[in-house]
Amino acid sequence: MSKERGGSLIFLAAGIYGLIFSIQLPLGRWNQPGPAVFPLSLSILLCIFGTSWFIQGKGNAEKKETVGLGGFAQKFITPIQIVALTAAFILTFDSLGYLLAAMLYLFVLFLWVSRYRFWTALGLAIAFGAGSWLFFGKVLTTSLPKGFLPL
Amino acid sequence: MEVLSNLFNGFQTALTFQNIYLCFIGCLWGTVVGVLPGIGPLAGITLLIPATFGMDATGAIIMLAGIYYGAMYGGSTTSILMNIPGESASVVTCIDGYQMARKGRGGAALFIAAWGSWVGGTLSIVGLMFLAPFLANVAVKFGPPEMFALLLIAFILLGSLGKGSFFKTVPMILLGLLIGTIGMDPLTGTMRFTHGIKDLYDGIGFIPVAMGAFGIGEILVSTEESLVRFVSKVKMRELLPSREELRASWGPVFRGTGLGFLIGLLPGSAHVLSSFVSYTLEKRLAKRPEEFGTGRVEGVAGPETANNAASESAMIPFLGLGIPTGPAPAVMMIALLIHGVRPGPLFISEQPQVFWGLIASMYIGNVILIILNLPLVGLFVNLLRVPFRILFPVILLICLVGTYSVNSSVVELVILLFFGVLGYIFRKLDFDIAPFILAMIIGPTLEMAFRQSLMRSAGSFSIFFKSPIACTLIALSCLLFIWNIYRAVRPKKASWEKALEEGE
Repeated sequence: MSKERGGSLIFLAAGIYGLIFSIQLPLGRWNQPGPAVFPLSLSILLCIFGTSWFIQGKGNAEKKETVGLGGFAQKFITPIQIVALTAAFILTFDSLGYLLAAMLYLFVLFLWVSRYRFWTALGLAIAFGAGSWLFFGKVLTTSLPKGFLPL
Repeated sequence: MEVLSNLFNGFQTALTFQNIYLCFIGCLWGTVVGVLPGIGPLAGITLLIPATFGMDATGAIIMLAGIYYGAMYGGSTTSILMNIPGESASVVTCIDGYQMARKGRGGAALFIAAWGSWVGGTLSIVGLMFLAPFLANVAVKFGPPEMFALLLIAFILLGSLGKGSFFKTVPMILLGLLIGTIGMDPLTGTMRFTHGIKDLYDGIGFIPVAMGAFGIGEILVSTEESLVRFVSKVKMRELLPSREELRASWGPVFRGTGLGFLIGLLPGSAHVLSSFVSYTLEKRLAKRPEEFGTGRVEGVAGPETANNAASESAMIPFLGLGIPTGPAPAVMMIALLIHGVRPGPLFISEQPQVFWGLIASMYIGNVILIILNLPLVGLFVNLLRVPFRILFPVILLICLVGTYSVNSSVVELVILLFFGVLGYIFRKLDFDIAPFILAMIIGPTLEMAFRQSLMRSAGSFSIFFKSPIACTLIALSCLLFIWNIYRAVRPKKASWEKALEEGE
């Protein structure tokens, strides 16, 4: 799939979503435009651009790389790892508490993604996790989830 | 003169211990993010927004502005020493700067870059000082039709001059405008696209979107390459340039100042465009243009001056009209809005201590930066030796906790991750995300101006043509749109257009 087609799918998806939900809003009158006017117009334009890019993208497909599926996956493995770990952090940090969740998050990132050795990763995770907790929690007095740790 | 007395009051505000300290922190952090590849000034500014919550508005904007123009200084260091642009506006500096370093003239190149940046930045602030209040006085007379027309032409210009083609930028703008409608409609109170989620009633937060798109998105792209980076040692024989080098830099510095100042007023990738246009100009004016690319001083002096001048003059439409013309001013606008300060035509008259305090701090900041970037350049070079595989997890964590600290909302963390992935996808697909952010921020103003205009005119569109200012701006918008259609269909593109489309 060409890059234009990839982008067009995002615009089409956003345009269709906007169309479906803005139609349900009041349009108002010419002398008092309602809340639907702007998002509806934008959604229609997005659908037009999305469709146009999708059609235009047909002739612009780049040559397929000769690397196999393994090569393709290798390129995106690190971003996928990071997204997965970040999602896990978001899901767990309220229940585990910020300090523990941050240290675990950093530990797995340093170990699995940055490929440090176990003890190096652990040391870095504790140092930066605790450091961030001190800075945001104590210096900036941000309210961070405590979890089950008595801190 | 009134301007000078206001500036004097501004210095009284800026020369407090706290504000000097915040200016220094901003300049230091800006230089650091400028030096480090993989972290741009946008990520640098968004990361420190949560740290400004305990400050007053003046201190906050002084620090954040320091990051912005500080990054322009720092970006040249890696360009010259490593042939890797520290940030996007320093791409052109790689061409001749690195060649100068290879010849043992790295120190001279760094000096010329810092000196040019200082001159460009300082003279541009003078222009900012006079032009912003003038524009604000004009804009105070603007009604909804004029504001709508002004924003319309700003968006068209953004599409014309942004990275990538016009028809590739427009859907990003439309998407940003659509996202900006999420939340409660200010005129009727109707909820739009909230799906019953209370955290969305006030709209999608700008901070998770900006941090996601520029912070997390940038890291995801950077981590695709090897996480191990090599810093090559380049011998710096002397820091000071020779007399010939200094003499050769005068012309490019002053030409770069003028060019950068004017281009900085335009929406889009002004700092990138200004450095490229300056390089092209110096090459055209040179007696031996074939020597460009082999280590010409003019190839460093002009672009570095221009990008700094552009970064300062970009503050003019932002502060005077309330229209951020680039992603960094847009993020600074977010910070100001959080502090209850709204840049725009009334900003200078209602908040003179913030405006003039900022202007005065920019003079101070430029002095701080030349001290940081010349005698202390070795310190920043050592930063390049910090492994990226240590930096990126820490930055990710800071993005997460920084976003959470705004509203203590887990929903905003989900938004952060979503826009991080979206920003990554758009970068892979070669779509510029900056117009999306800009549109999201100023889109609500555009919609409000449009609807208020129709309410005033009882539904008649003639209101947009009865005002000479609105009519002129709309006509210019139409001409620009037609010009962009012509650009899209003609076979041969200008070199500056190719450079913008290919991106940095």
